[in-house]
Amino acid sequence: MNVQIIGQMAVSGALMGLVYALIAYGFQLTYATSKSINFGQGELVMVSAFFSLTLTNLGLPYWAMIPGGLLFGALMGLIVERAAVRLALEQKSEGWILLTIILGLFFFSSAENIWGRDDRPFPTPISADPIHVLGVDVTRLELSVAVGVIAIMGAIELFKRRTLLGKAFEAVSADRDAAELMGISATRTVMLSYALSGAVAALAGILVSPITTVGPTMASALILKAFSVAVVAGLDSGFGVVLIGMCLGALESLASFYLGSGWREAPGLVLLILALALRPNGVFGKATIRKV
Amino acid sequence: MKRILLLRGAELIVFACLATIPLLVVNPYALGLLTLLAIYGILLIGLDVTVGYLGQVNLGHVAFLGLGAYTAGLVVTKLGLGMGPALLAAMAVGLLLGGLLALPALRLEGPQFALATLSFAALSTTALNELESLTGGAQGLSLSRPPVFGHVLTPPLFYWLCMALLAVVWMLMRNLLASQWGRAFEALRDSPIATDAMGVGTYRHKVAAFALGSGLGGLAGGLYAFNFQYLQPQSFTYDLMIILLLGVVLGGRKSLWGAFVGSSVIVLLPNLLSNRHLFQIFSGLGFAAALAAGLRGLAKQTTRPFQALAPVVAMGLLVVGGFLVENTEDWRKAIFALMLFSVVVGLPEGLMGFLSHFLARLFRVPHAPLPEPSALEDVLPSRPADGAPLLVLEDLKRHFGGVKAVDGLSVSVQSGAIHGLIGPNGSGKSTVVNVISGLYTPSSGRVLLRGSALPTGSLFRVARAGVARTFQNLQLFGELTALENVMVALKGVYRSPLPMVLFGLGRAEERRARADALALLNLIGLRGQALNKAKDLTYGAQRFLEIARALARKPDLLILDEPAAGLAHPDVLQQIEIIKRVHQRGITIILIEHHMDVVSELCSTVTVLDGGKVIAEGAPDEVKRHPKVVEAYLGQPPQPASPESDPQPGGPAPQPA
Repeated sequence: MNVQIIGQMAVSGALMGLVYALIAYGFQLTYATSKSINFGQGELVMVSAFFSLTLTNLGLPYWAMIPGGLLFGALMGLIVERAAVRLALEQKSEGWILLTIILGLFFFSSAENIWGRDDRPFPTPISADPIHVLGVDVTRLELSVAVGVIAIMGAIELFKRRTLLGKAFEAVSADRDAAELMGISATRTVMLSYALSGAVAALAGILVSPITTVGPTMASALILKAFSVAVVAGLDSGFGVVLIGMCLGALESLASFYLGSGWREAPGLVLLILALALRPNGVFGKATIRKV
Repeated sequence: MKRILLLRGAELIVFACLATIPLLVVNPYALGLLTLLAIYGILLIGLDVTVGYLGQVNLGHVAFLGLGAYTAGLVVTKLGLGMGPALLAAMAVGLLLGGLLALPALRLEGPQFALATLSFAALSTTALNELESLTGGAQGLSLSRPPVFGHVLTPPLFYWLCMALLAVVWMLMRNLLASQWGRAFEALRDSPIATDAMGVGTYRHKVAAFALGSGLGGLAGGLYAFNFQYLQPQSFTYDLMIILLLGVVLGGRKSLWGAFVGSSVIVLLPNLLSNRHLFQIFSGLGFAAALAAGLRGLAKQTTRPFQALAPVVAMGLLVVGGFLVENTEDWRKAIFALMLFSVVVGLPEGLMGFLSHFLARLFRVPHAPLPEPSALEDVLPSRPADGAPLLVLEDLKRHFGGVKAVDGLSVSVQSGAIHGLIGPNGSGKSTVVNVISGLYTPSSGRVLLRGSALPTGSLFRVARAGVARTFQNLQLFGELTALENVMVALKGVYRSPLPMVLFGLGRAEERRARADALALLNLIGLRGQALNKAKDLTYGAQRFLEIARALARKPDLLILDEPAAGLAHPDVLQQIEIIKRVHQRGITIILIEHHMDVVSELCSTVTVLDGGKVIAEGAPDEVKRHPKVVEAYLGQPPQPASPESDPQPGGPAPQPA
């Protein structure tokens, strides 16, 4: 057993894990305001990546494409909120689970037919040459993922804490009814959270595509792990997802090395079921006191 | 009786028709579809247990189909056993793994439950793919139908086998779901806390429901294996799961017929999609139906604009797409999505839910008449009060972090008394109730019922020990009728073991339960509304129903948590009357209330709490004059001229004398 190989696997796994963390963070954003998450978030990641690829193919430079992609993601998030979530929340039913799955299926099928079923490379100006840090190789591409994830999460957290709109967001998360009584529109805040969540998903797609290529199924494995991360960390725990995401990434990279690549998904799933059984509110989540 | 005859008649006719088809038609393709219909029928009945009755989005059912199929395949190919053992093993694997998965999934609701089942499905696909030595991995597993009693099962014979199994499953499930078990599943969906507090036990019912549904999934999987005789892990993926959900939702939840209709739809769907012309006709019909329903809903203002318009838009997309798109097969998933979307938004009760309302109105089928209520003396025998202490709290404490909600409480409740528990908001009344009834575990101290320790920290076990409670924030089972709400909680009537219930041998006690529950509804004056859903009752009636349901536990001690809160004056008077009637049966009552007039009228002893401690105890009139009580409510020493202040909107405060 070679320490260097283990280190290498763990580091590159952990960097991938940051992508799971970013998608999971998107779940937290909507869960905070509306106690709902988009079960079709993976399709949002994928569709936004395809859209960004189209922008690039139209001749847009990389840095100009990113805002376009994020805007598209935000728009998709708004569509999900309007079509799948709002009605169910008004009726206080669990229908949104099914409806977001359905919408995801629709996006998937549309993407399949619009952009084709094949995986395509995603051009990027960031080089994929390895650099040697502390005995392990990392590429600039992998580092760019880390930077992008931390940057957007930091920006959104700052927004929530420093701006008036962000404070409204926090108020609705803390107590929806009280916030409404103070004149904050909960509906608009939920819309905002879905738009942000969509933008986050789009960024995840743009960051990960140069590494994994773009295709209709690019997010199906990704999303399962993002679910695991969100639930294991707790759906209301802020930066807990980063830690859990990196751990999970490292773990599965080691699992695929020692058990075979087919078992790659297994640690995340086992971890998820265990976490749900032992700590349903997540490792960093708060236990709620039942009131009647 | 007419209703029952119609239903049974329709079932018989449909099954008889289905059974004779192979004799008349010799089209192997049609026979294959019908066989699949039977298999998916069993599968969807299983899925409906969790999705319909438990009301949880279950994304793991497809895994049980796959695991059942592989189990059957392996039993035949590796162990060389016959079809019977293979099917039994498939079902057993479903039951067992379903039960195991239900254990961690037990505490979960909504999205977390969906995620847990989704992960299980993904995990089982991984396992089927990777355990190559056993399953053949991605290569697949071939098997052949072993002969049964020396007979080779030809397609018609296999079809009859599947249909016969569907009929058996149908019959057993009908009996089960119409029994106390089915009611408990639904109660669990509407309020897990109340289900526990009524001594029904969320734990075993949730596990049972999930295991049962999964067992049916396994059985369907076994049949699936023998039908296709070739298995691949990628047949049992998320895509199929979506189609299964489409079947249940489209057909109609909580309905065997719904499962049947749903399975017909998903069996026929691929054929529909492969023929473009047919697809255009059906999408046009769907659009017309959505438009008609939407306009009607808007005109009558029974639906919200979104609910009326969204299905029209979705079906419109389907129609337009049908003309634009070359190959509808390519857009298969988008078409499923649009159809499902329209149904979930516009027709939440599914085709059968809609049809059964429609048919019931068309034929004016009356409800089965209610039996005569049992004599109250048989249901709730009056018991003499011996005046001994029934419930004793000894130095009871419950702290939440630094908050001492209950801080060293010692109270003794005499048997046969109505013991009032009052205090300003935040004085710890509700916490005391929640500790006694088992929702919270006490931080320290003891709770004694008739001198022996009451179980702590379990609503279920406290309820079983003879303590019943009502809830300040109503916890009724909204989708059940008033009668069923009481029947769920009814103690001492249901004795038949599960197998007898399955074979429909529990009917006598079912009749007895109805009569007993009616007697209790009669006691609270709701006999005339026995068949109304609890959520449709007036607010006052819901409060009364909470009491009737708690009485069904035939408790020694009844805890009423603010039974008059929010009631209009006439309802308050009726509530007082009801509580008096309950008291006459010799049941000891702890009454938490803000309405001082209610407390004065009913209680013999009153304990006043403030800051989690007892500040006064005695007869209502004495307590009202107690200086500490006045101070707790008014926040200042009593002055003759002090204006009356009201600590609780809607409830008069004890007045200084």
